[in-house]
Formats: sequence, C-alpha cells, structure tokens
Amino acid sequence: MDTLSSLADGFVIAMTFQNLILALLGCFLGTIMGALPGLGPSNGVAILIPLAFSLGLGATPSLILLTSVYYGAMYGGRISSILLNIPGDAPALMTCIDGYPMAQNGRGGEALALSGFASFIGSFLATWGLVLLAPQLVKIALAFGPAEYFALFALAFATLGGVSSTNQAKSAFAAMIGLGLAMVGVDTQTGVPRFTFGIVHFYDGIDFLVAIVGLFAISEVFIFIENRHGSADAEGKKVELGRLTPSWKTFWGSFPTIIRTSLVGFLAGVLPGAGASLGSFISYSMEKRLLDKEGTFGKGDPRGVAAPEAGNNAAAGGALVPMLALGVPGSGTTAVLLAVLLALNITPGPLLFANNPDVVWGLIAALFIGNFILLLLNIPFVGIFIRVLLVPPRILMPIVAMVSFVGIYGIAGSTFDLVVMVGFGALGWLFRKMDVPLVPIILGVLLGNNMESNLRRAITISDGDWSVLFSSPLSMTLWAISIIGFVLPIFVGRFIPKKAKKLPETVEEEVSN
Amino acid sequence: MSDRIFGAVGLLLAALFAYSAMIIEESFLSDAVGPKAFPLIIAAILAVCSLTILLKPDAAPKWPTLPRFVELVASIVVMVLYAEFLPIVGFVIATALASAYLTWRLGTSAIQSVVVGISIAVGIYIIFHLLFGLSLAKGPLGF
Amino acid sequence: MISKVVRAALAVAAMSLAPVAAQAFEPENPECIAPANPGGGWDFTCRQVGKTLQDLGLIGSTMQVTNLAGGGGGVAYAAVVNKRGDDNDLIVAASSATATRLAQGAYPGNTMDQVRWVGAVGADYGVIAVAAKSPIQNLTELMDQMKDKPSSIAIAGGSAVGGWDHLKVLIAANAAGIEDVRKVKYIAFNGGGEAVTQLLAGSVQAFSGDISEAKGFVDSGDIRVVAVLSPERLEGDYAAFPTAKEQGIDAIGANWRGFYAPKNMTDDAYNFWVSKIDELYATPEWKNVMKNNGLAPLDLQGAEFEKFVSESVAKIQQISRNIGIIK
Repeated sequence: MDTLSSLADGFVIAMTFQNLILALLGCFLGTIMGALPGLGPSNGVAILIPLAFSLGLGATPSLILLTSVYYGAMYGGRISSILLNIPGDAPALMTCIDGYPMAQNGRGGEALALSGFASFIGSFLATWGLVLLAPQLVKIALAFGPAEYFALFALAFATLGGVSSTNQAKSAFAAMIGLGLAMVGVDTQTGVPRFTFGIVHFYDGIDFLVAIVGLFAISEVFIFIENRHGSADAEGKKVELGRLTPSWKTFWGSFPTIIRTSLVGFLAGVLPGAGASLGSFISYSMEKRLLDKEGTFGKGDPRGVAAPEAGNNAAAGGALVPMLALGVPGSGTTAVLLAVLLALNITPGPLLFANNPDVVWGLIAALFIGNFILLLLNIPFVGIFIRVLLVPPRILMPIVAMVSFVGIYGIAGSTFDLVVMVGFGALGWLFRKMDVPLVPIILGVLLGNNMESNLRRAITISDGDWSVLFSSPLSMTLWAISIIGFVLPIFVGRFIPKKAKKLPETVEEEVSN
Repeated sequence: MSDRIFGAVGLLLAALFAYSAMIIEESFLSDAVGPKAFPLIIAAILAVCSLTILLKPDAAPKWPTLPRFVELVASIVVMVLYAEFLPIVGFVIATALASAYLTWRLGTSAIQSVVVGISIAVGIYIIFHLLFGLSLAKGPLGF
Repeated sequence: MISKVVRAALAVAAMSLAPVAAQAFEPENPECIAPANPGGGWDFTCRQVGKTLQDLGLIGSTMQVTNLAGGGGGVAYAAVVNKRGDDNDLIVAASSATATRLAQGAYPGNTMDQVRWVGAVGADYGVIAVAAKSPIQNLTELMDQMKDKPSSIAIAGGSAVGGWDHLKVLIAANAAGIEDVRKVKYIAFNGGGEAVTQLLAGSVQAFSGDISEAKGFVDSGDIRVVAVLSPERLEGDYAAFPTAKEQGIDAIGANWRGFYAPKNMTDDAYNFWVSKIDELYATPEWKNVMKNNGLAPLDLQGAEFEKFVSESVAKIQQISRNIGIIK
C-alpha cells in the first residue's frame, strides 16, 4: 500500500500541463526516431539531452521528456521493420522476420496495430514490475556472475537454430562472422588492439548500428537496383493495404504469447548486459519453439510479430531496474539516462528510492502516462504509417539509403563509418543471395564482447578452471535449456525421418547437387 | 557451385582470422584466458561451418546478369563517393546528387529524379538538422 | 509545439551570439568531447561542467557533449591531435586514466605535449572496498590474505588490465610488500557500477574504484571501504574512511578530473577556457557539485596544471616500470 500511495504522489508530480506536453512531444519524436534506420532509442535520448537542458527543465520534467523518447523509440522501431524489412534499431530486429511477410501479404496494418498493442502490454506489465518488484528484482541481477552471463549468451546462440532453420551451417557461419566482427578493436580486458590493422577507427570496434543499417537497409537498396527490371512492374501492381486493426481472433490468438514474452523480456531487461535485444530475441525463439507446429513462423504469423515487440518493450522497462536501483546501465539507452541523472545531480543506486522519491515516482508515473500516449498515438497512426507502402520503391529506396547515411553520419560524424556501412551493404547483398541469414550476424556483433569478457572473467576468477562455467545451479539450468530445448531438436529431427517434414526437400537438394 | 566457392572462401577467412589472432601482441599483465583464445575458438567453428557448406552445398542462387552487376557496382561506387564528398561539398548538395542518381537508376525519368533528389535532401535536412539538431556535414555554403 | 522548441533553440542560439562583441573570445559552439560512452566519469565531467558553466552564465550557449569512445580515450586523443588541432571551441575531458595511458604509451604515437592542458576540476581518491558481510575488516588483513593465498582474492575494477583501477591495487600491494604483482588477481569490468554489482553478487572479494562510485553502496550498508588512498582523511561524510597510510601502507591514488584542448587553439581561446575553469572552480555551485560527488580539492589551471600532468605522467611511468607493466 505504501508503494501505491507513493505512486499516487508520483502521478501528482507528473500530471502537470507542462509535463504532459513534454511526454507527448517525447513520444512523438521518439516514435519517429525509432522508425528511422540508424536512430534508435539510445541515440534518440542522447540527441535530445541538449534540448532538455536548453529548455532549462528541472530533473523530473527532463526525465519525463527523455523516458518518453525512450519508450517512443522502442515503439517506433517496429514500423520500419514491418513495412520495409529494415529494423530501426537492434531490438526491432526480430520483428522483421514475421512483420515484413505480413506486410507483403497485405496485412501490414494488422501487423502494425497488433505490435502496437503488444508493445503497450509489454511496457505496461514491465512498469508494474518496476513498481512492485524493483527491490526484489535486484536479487536476480545479483544471481548472475560472469559464468551465468556466459551461459545466458550461449543460450541465445543455441536458439539460433530454431530461428533461421533453412541451413544450420550457414546460420552458424553467420553467427561466427558476427562474433568475429565483435572482436575487432581494443581488447576490453587487457587493452591490446586486435584485428585493427593499425587503423585507429577500428580501435573503437565496429558499431553494431553501422552493421545493422548496412546489412539490412543498404543491402535492400542493392536488391532493388539488381532487380529493377524484374519488379519495375511492381509499380503497376495495386498495393494491398488491408485492414488496419487485427480481428479479435488474431488478437486473442496472440494474447498468451504477449503475456509470456512480456515476462521473459522483462527478466532479460533486468539483467545488466542482456537488455532489449536479447529480450526480443529470446522471446521470439521461445514462442517459435512452443507454437510453431505448422511452420507458419517466418511466413507472416501474427504471433511472431507480437512476441518480439512485447518482449523488447518489456525489456526496456526492465532495464530501468538495475539503472535506478544499482546505478548500473543495462543497455546503451539506460547508460545515456544514467548520465542525465548524474548531470542533474541525482545519484542512482541503492538509496535513490529513499533519497529522491519524488524523482523516482514521478518518473514511474511518467512511464505509465507515456505508454498510454504511445498507444493513443500509434493505433490511429497505423493508417498513416501504412501509406509508406504506397510510395513506389524507385523513390522510397533512395530515401531509405539517404536516411541511413544521415542516421549514421549525424551521430559519429565519421565518413569512415559510412564507407564501412556501404561495405556491409555489399556483404548483406551477397549473403542474401547465398541464403546466409543476417540475424545471427547482428546477434554476434551485439553480444560478442560481453560473451568473451564474461568467459574470461569467469576463468580468471577460477584460476584457469574451465569447469566453473557449469558449476552453479543457475548456469547448469541455462545450459540445460540450451541443449535440451534448442540444440538437441535440430539433430533429433534430422535422424527421425517422420518428424523431419523437410526431409524430402533436403534429399532432392542433395541429389540435384 | 556457388556454395562450394563460398565455403572455400569461408575456410580461407577462418585461416586468416586465426592467423591474425595468433599475432596479437599480449601485454605483460594478462588474464588467465588472454586475448587470443576466444578469437581462435571462433575461427575453429567458422572453419567447421565453411567445410560443411563446401561439402553439402545448397542449390546455386540466381546471379545477376553482367549489365545488372555493373549497375550494382556503379551504385556502390556512387555511395562511397557520396561518403567521401559529403564533408567537402556539404550535406544538401551531396545528398541531392546521390539520391537523384539512385532514383534515376531505379527507373524514374531524369527530370523527375532531379526533383525527387532535391526534395529528399531538403526534407532530410529539415527533419534531422532543424528538428533534431544533428550536426550534418557543412559544405562551403553552410549546408 | 515543435515551432516552440525551435524558437527556444533559436533563442538560446541568439543568446550565444550576443556577447561576441563584448569579449575578445567567446566560443560559438562550445563543445566538450567525452572520450567514452555516456555514463562514465569522462562523460560526467563534460556534462556536469558544461551544465554548471551554462547555469552560471560563464558560457553563453549550451555545451554540446560529444561522445567519442574507444581505445581508452585514444580515439579521441588522436582525433584532437590529427583532425581538430586548431579548434577554438573544443575542450576534452581527461583524468588520471588519460595520464596513465599516455605514460604507458597506450595511445600509439601520441604524447602529452601534443595538446594543451587546461585545468583540473577536482580529484577523486581511490578506494578499496569489500562486501559488508566479508570477514575482512581492514586493508592490512586484505593484503595479508593476498600474500598468503593470492588466488583467494579476486579484485574487481572498472578499467582494463593495466588501467588506473588496476594500478591503484598494484600500488597498494607494492607498498604492502607484495613482490610479484602478477599474482594479484584483477578482474576488469565495463565500469565501476558493474564491478560493484559483482562484489555484491559475491563473484569477487574486493573492489577497486573511485570514491564517487562507491559512495551510494557505502551509505546503503552494502559495502565496506577498507582504505581510501588519500594522504589524509577526507572531510565531511568521508571522514569515517580509514586511509591506507594510517594502516601502515603508504599508497596514494588520486584520480584527477580535468580537461585538455587542441594544441593549436589561439592563445585567446586557451586563456578563455583556463579562466572559465578557474572561475567555475571558485564558485559555491561547483563546491556543491564536488561535495555531492565526493570530489576532493585540486585547484590547478593553465601552466600549473600542465606541470602537474607532466609530473604525474612521469610518476606513473616510474611505477609502471617498477612493477613491470612497461619495460
């Protein structure tokens, strides 16, 4: 009850006219930034920090503006994933897999609306989790030492087999390319440069945004250039916009998925170093494993859109737990928010709830408000967003290319990054041709450094004893889930002919080669 | 055949990666694992995957015809030139030229392409520079 | 609403243009490079100083903070030396970590005299802490255990191996008579916050960091500071922390925070920044920021600061050589 009355106080703080306007502005700008390739939540928040300061806002209004941008960008990321097959940022990556096929089947409006609802429920549940459980949740974060983190990242890679199931060797190949790219740069443990070829730009490592935008957006442009004659008649084809809201049947069909993945995403968010991308990734692969009996996932299954969106929005809420309660940023965005708090003379940490209750509860109330505003903004706007599909590709694709360039250039101001991005675009084109999935590459780039660092920390703490990786109940559980849940089915499926639906195809392919 | 070449290139890549990992200079103080072990594990798995692709290839994809391929290379060159000239000629001019080129090559008439190119450049400038306050490349004309 | 924002932004911009005529030099677009990702000490230095300078009217417009992470500050250092050598509007956050890397030659091809050192805004003394429920009560006990069973104590810190957090432990270990510093088990994390979390989680036995990183957890009763590496006890809230020196281990580690600027900036611009940092340091507002964040006094600007940095680089070089990190 104490909590609820504090929350009520928070609403009193947050519900001023100025704060509501700021939340609306933040949600609007955040949604746009999330939708544009290259500008994700972390950059969106960073870009608007000077605005918050130059308007001379106090601590609570600044936080309301910036967290609205954060939540808004988490919502917005799905838009370009669904409509263009280009993730606005890493957490929206998994939404492409079923979202884009839905849009191609004339169900883009449904996908946008359903994912909007899923985002709302994910955030809503996560914000309640933050209110009721923040102190207890910190204990979860404390249960994860280096060995457990390593097992968690290994689990993420183990689920890859389930996500892109065409050719496991190519999927693993892509993951290794991603991990290899993550190794580029100064070693975070010992400070020695690796794979940099003496180029100072590489000391920093390869920014995953450059990789995502290159692999997805730029390579999409190349595909269109290659097929110009093939699909020039696409202009003549009438674009099917379809209905703008999902039917009740679709919605209720996805509802259990939304609830489950909200929970999973929230927990992933609570762990510093896992974050929203891992949340959406595990959410998607878990649902595919649980529900995909007819092989509809990856071909435009609404549940495949709802899962990652509920997961990543819930993770965004979860990521606030370690930031507020421990002062440890769990993701790029919370790192930026942490910097803002410090600049406002507020020190997050175990005493934040006691020392600055007005800030914390005002912020949490603002999250609820922002989430409602986002739902209200997003559902009616589906009809506007969907019109992007009416723009012919010959005009849309140059816009996509140029926005990608600006998004990357505007942040780091480096032409070197742009050239690397074009390189990734060419690589992405080649990999698409070769049927090498792109998602594992991004996962590798995103998680590589964390995975390696935690492995090395664990082994160093145990004085070189590798068995430490399997020594705690938690890490053993995680390993068991990866092996029994995801790795074994790949091999078992291959050896039991009746279970392997794809067997005839594979045989054919082998014969034809 | 494509997959066999791809697998072979992958093997070569794994070997190169392993070699670059071997020559990482370790510092005097290091952790128990060191900076080489993880990259070597990656190289090993990469090699296994490449070998599998080489030995069990998928059907070959449909490759573009030579003119299409030239077209692709040309667009890559234009994008690299765009990146290099961006800080020199400024954002708006560079973007208008590059997007007009892409629009034209994607099948829009020349005159229309120029209009589209300029609109894209100005539109992005308004959103990203004036609204979001990102610093875009300033050319001699200040934009 | 948007036009309102634009108008507000324009108003700020106009304010920055106004005083140009009145003064010899006024930065048009003041910019501070934080050579790390948002959330770290350098980022904090830029943002806090930028905000306070603006609040006090010492600069006309908002200080733009650019995060240029990489190579432990090396990417930013190289960029300032090579690309922005004559930028008058630019200052860059620096700290003992910068000096450490310069001393150890970790910025390939760069030396400390390729930039101009502007001034310090305070110093953060190093602390060594253990979890509140740890049986270890003081630094002597910790060092004794490290001597007897080096593998039983893993120490977490926020910098890479050989970085400042590691060096502080080694300085203390050296002073306590541990000969082979390679036996000291140091685990590098991405920042002090993560390192403290792992101390609480029980993955490691001790923590080496700055006093500002530890403060919140000391107040909440989660960790115990066994030593602060200052010459004498600090003031205020921090007076309860025992120094290493009073426990018979003569180790001092101060992480100063300050700025450098491009080498070829005009003298007018350099003097502008030096005097503004000096003015800032003298204000009660800044004293308050220092107090809130556990920064100890270190009032050095201009030539004095330049001398201080060069001395500390020389000293770190000597320590690193003694304990064998560099040859």
